[in-house]
Amino acid sequence: MSADTIPVTFDVYRFQPGKDATPRFQRYTLDLTPHTPVLTGLLRIRDEIDPSLGLRYSCRSAICGSCAMQVNSKSRLACETQVGPEVELHGRIVVEPMLNQPVVRDLVVDQSPFWREYQKIEPHLKVDPRRPMPVGKVTPMTPAQVDRFQGTPRCIACAACYSACPAVGSDPAFPGPMALAKLYRFAVDPRDAARQDRLVRIQTEGLWLCLRCHLCTEACPKDVRPSERIRDLKEMAIAVQGATEHGSKHAVGFKRNIREGGTLNEMKLVRQTYGIFGMLPQLPYGLKIWRKKPEVARRPPPIEGREELEGIYRELDREGER
Amino acid sequence: MKLAYYPGCVAKESGRELDLSTRWVCQALGIELAEFPKFSCCGSGFIDEANELLSIAINARNLAIAEAAGLDLMTVCSTCQGMLSLAKLRMEDPAVRAKVDATLKPLGINYRGTSKVTHLLRVLVEDVGLEAIRAKVKRPLAGLKVGAFYGCHLLRPADEMDWESPEEPHAFENLLSALGAEPVLYRGRVMCCGFPIQFVKAETAGRIAGRQILDAKDHGADAMATPCPLCHISLDAYQRPAAKLVGRPLDMPVFHLPQLVALAFGASPKDLGFSRHMVSPEAALAKLAPSAR
Amino acid sequence: MLRHEVVVVGAGLAGQRAALAAVEAGRDVAIVTKLHPLRSHSGAAQGGINAAIGANDSVDAHIFDTVKGSDYLGDQDAIEFFCREAGPTVLEMEHFGTIFTRTEDGSLAQRPFGGAGFPRTVYAADRTGLALLQGLWERLGSERFTLYEEWELARIVVRGGRAQGIIAFDRKTGAIQGMAAKAIVIATGGAGRIYGRTTNAHSCTGDGMAVAYQAGAFLKDMEFVQFHPTALLEGGILVTEGARGEGGILKNASGERFMSRYAPKVLELASRDVVARAITTEILEGRGFQGPYGPFVHLELMHLGREKIESRLQEISDLCRSFAGLDPATDPIPIAPAQHYMMGGIGTNIQGETNVPGLYSAGEAACVSIHGANRLGGNSLMETLVFGKSAGTAAAAYAAGAAEATLEPGDLDAVATTLRGWSERKDGEDPSALRAELQQTMDRYVNIFRNAADLAEGLRRVRALKDRFCRVRVVDPSRVFNLNLSDAIETGHMIDLAEVILVGALARTESRGAHFRKDYPKRDDAQWMKHTLARSTPGGPELSYSPVGFTRWEPKERVY
Repeated sequence: MSADTIPVTFDVYRFQPGKDATPRFQRYTLDLTPHTPVLTGLLRIRDEIDPSLGLRYSCRSAICGSCAMQVNSKSRLACETQVGPEVELHGRIVVEPMLNQPVVRDLVVDQSPFWREYQKIEPHLKVDPRRPMPVGKVTPMTPAQVDRFQGTPRCIACAACYSACPAVGSDPAFPGPMALAKLYRFAVDPRDAARQDRLVRIQTEGLWLCLRCHLCTEACPKDVRPSERIRDLKEMAIAVQGATEHGSKHAVGFKRNIREGGTLNEMKLVRQTYGIFGMLPQLPYGLKIWRKKPEVARRPPPIEGREELEGIYRELDREGER
Repeated sequence: MKLAYYPGCVAKESGRELDLSTRWVCQALGIELAEFPKFSCCGSGFIDEANELLSIAINARNLAIAEAAGLDLMTVCSTCQGMLSLAKLRMEDPAVRAKVDATLKPLGINYRGTSKVTHLLRVLVEDVGLEAIRAKVKRPLAGLKVGAFYGCHLLRPADEMDWESPEEPHAFENLLSALGAEPVLYRGRVMCCGFPIQFVKAETAGRIAGRQILDAKDHGADAMATPCPLCHISLDAYQRPAAKLVGRPLDMPVFHLPQLVALAFGASPKDLGFSRHMVSPEAALAKLAPSAR
Repeated sequence: MLRHEVVVVGAGLAGQRAALAAVEAGRDVAIVTKLHPLRSHSGAAQGGINAAIGANDSVDAHIFDTVKGSDYLGDQDAIEFFCREAGPTVLEMEHFGTIFTRTEDGSLAQRPFGGAGFPRTVYAADRTGLALLQGLWERLGSERFTLYEEWELARIVVRGGRAQGIIAFDRKTGAIQGMAAKAIVIATGGAGRIYGRTTNAHSCTGDGMAVAYQAGAFLKDMEFVQFHPTALLEGGILVTEGARGEGGILKNASGERFMSRYAPKVLELASRDVVARAITTEILEGRGFQGPYGPFVHLELMHLGREKIESRLQEISDLCRSFAGLDPATDPIPIAPAQHYMMGGIGTNIQGETNVPGLYSAGEAACVSIHGANRLGGNSLMETLVFGKSAGTAAAAYAAGAAEATLEPGDLDAVATTLRGWSERKDGEDPSALRAELQQTMDRYVNIFRNAADLAEGLRRVRALKDRFCRVRVVDPSRVFNLNLSDAIETGHMIDLAEVILVGALARTESRGAHFRKDYPKRDDAQWMKHTLARSTPGGPELSYSPVGFTRWEPKERVY
């Protein structure tokens, strides 16, 4: 790699609660090689220009998770983000603290909400006392069983996913992608005896608030792919407990709905999700929509080749099998 | 150009203004849309939550239908695009392929994976090209500031959708410029509209939708435009509850992508189904330069 | 004034394991840590953890490999205890929930590692440290203890011949707190950041070692500093020995697999000091590559194939992509040695006891010694757990029987006054500048190949830095998250430790393990088969020596 430098402008969020009335941005300029990590730039700012800048950092090698922050509006690890591509795309490096966590100072956030959600899912092995672990031997686990964990063991709890998640930002009842990915990790661990309880519990504790928008999977620096594990949790929860929440009723309802005619019967889906009485509060506004779009109440014509669809469902739809 | 037209459930029914304007635009551009009454719903991600293999299998069937006609498949919905692309990708896994084939083959369905899945937005920008689009503009949308709203499943997961940058896409904005409109950039344009939980927890969905609309509004947008009819439902049909939830008036017209293209190509507004929107686009249309109205 | 029965300082593997042992013994336990436990440097360990559990392996073979690896300076009774505990320890970690890489028949996979005669390194892909840290933290999470997160250790109070507690500084609020404790376990890790080129995290500043030393504990064998052979050229990020364990090979600029000249039998899997010296020699003798970031050699993994790399070495594959802009499946990796581990540390016995009653230590912060003059890869992760448990158990037993601990108001005031003085100074020395000079000094004068002239110059410079530190100045006036103040605290600690290393290295006129002197290139068992002990005095470190513990193995010439 070359040692030629380019001028890099950093616009860094500065805020000290109690001291500053509002947050401000402070500009620093450094000459850096294009492959220099943003973290290195920030540390040079601290060493050479402004020792008062607050940030968290430790390993600088993308394993400790300390340096997660927003760089040009994307939540990620500062140590793994190179200045060159950012300057090319945005002309400068805008550095801000992560979202969804209160700011302590500058780029440092209070991660208590994040850790609380993690603790809530009870992230430890629960062993059935009637079936304890083998004494003096490891619990056998095949490579295929290890593969089932997928990317979840790679999680470094950096909270980039939590910062990127719009559901976390909009609803305190949503545990966030990291906690759910961790729940998945325990739900597929053959040594954990509480799989059923975990899946039943999470159905009422926010699982179905996930938007499956994949912003978490994009933000994750360790390829954990939380949104895909959350999808797995949803399927596993339905398989264990059936459709008990609006979210699971909606998914199962949708699945049954399509089986009937091949395309969506919107009105019926609302009933499947909420039940007849549950639908009533939605009626007033629903009527306003119906006036503009009368098709919402129409049963669509069935597709051609419906028997093929029925054949697929008969083979693959596992409903009723627990 | 001839494509297998996959409208998806909403475009055919309650969102038929999308279907209307899509046909108008394709006719104007000489794109032949082949229709397949056998197409089923893509599952919209909901079937995927209940049963992943089932979701893959029904979409493999949809793809096989287009394949049998030797055509690539065009969607007009970010979610359909996401689901069909995902199914195609999953079918590359031999274990998944084997299971799905075992279900489809006895039904006489022979999936081969030869049809591409594309979206109207991609067809316009990549296949037709911005030059050709510009040449067809009769009524430049000058004076209209539009915030594009992509819809999650068009962009993410980026390694699976294999298209534009998920944080900094520009295809839609480039198209808007070619139509003479002024694209407005704002963070929310690549975020979620909240639709998937509209029937799980409406207040949260509304808060999310409201946030993105406010973002567009605070950056100066006169209107938003989306390539996804589900986003349209969230941003337009449910805009009023969203405004209450974020505590600010929104009054943001939301266009379907092809409605704006058709408008720029000279279509009469009354042919584009604007009366079916919950938020009237009148205010936005009034922003067009006098020569354009 | 806070009060607990056992205070563990440091929340990596050793600290957490000590805390678990103390909690299980029924004590009221506090963990004081300057990072959230999951951010500890234990999580950066990649390659694996050693245990002789294979059918054709034996505990004796592990013991011998460790003894030989230590260049016969390791205490054999401690090594025997360590190796015997390794099997049950790895089993325990698996039962705690750690996710390890497995073989087809469901047992723990083991890979070959440097200096081991048998593949006994249990691993979790190439993120074994992270896997163990998660497993242990999740196990500990269901126990009751108090966590003081982002607190920095400033002082250990010793009075009446025993430890009485700690004074620590809460980084989040700037508050200085006293914590009375009957037993204290120091598990704060190593001090790699005294070097500029190190694999260590920025947080590895040896605070526990330095504070214990100031409180009267001996530091043992500090001159033995391990340089890992394979760190990325730019930045010094670790590339695990496991890469060589999976078959990676080293080549010089002539394309020669040079390890055949230095370790004909085991080549790249010789012990770390041998490989590090080999690479450095190749470079010094002009057979290395040259570039704008310094000289280097190549670590080649291409012949392993992409599938093996992506499954067994996924982390380092990502590291190469993110930090070196290359793909190890198609490109050779430019590497050069970097400081990695401190064999030396707070002197303890097998129970983790130091010479100060009530004060214990475990992990990299401690020196038992099981690593002697050079540590084998895979033994450090095991060390944290075996001696974390020992120290936690012993600390709990001591606390159960000890009288109440007390701190006096003056204890807190002394620290507060010092820190306030740094902040009130009108002009003075910048802690980052002092730290940078310290790092340059250590890199230049106390590296893989040493000699009297360099060491003397290094010591002179460190002493000058020590003087200048008396006028250190903190410019950031904030109470909240004041990293300028943390820098100053840490720099002071690092200067003290550097002085101890230099004094010990100058005094030891032989080469053994990682301590290689060009002016004394041979191992001298007659004069130097002994541990260096350093005690803090107003005039600097005062050295004394203690004998090495032997059981069954006679010292022999060490060849690989």
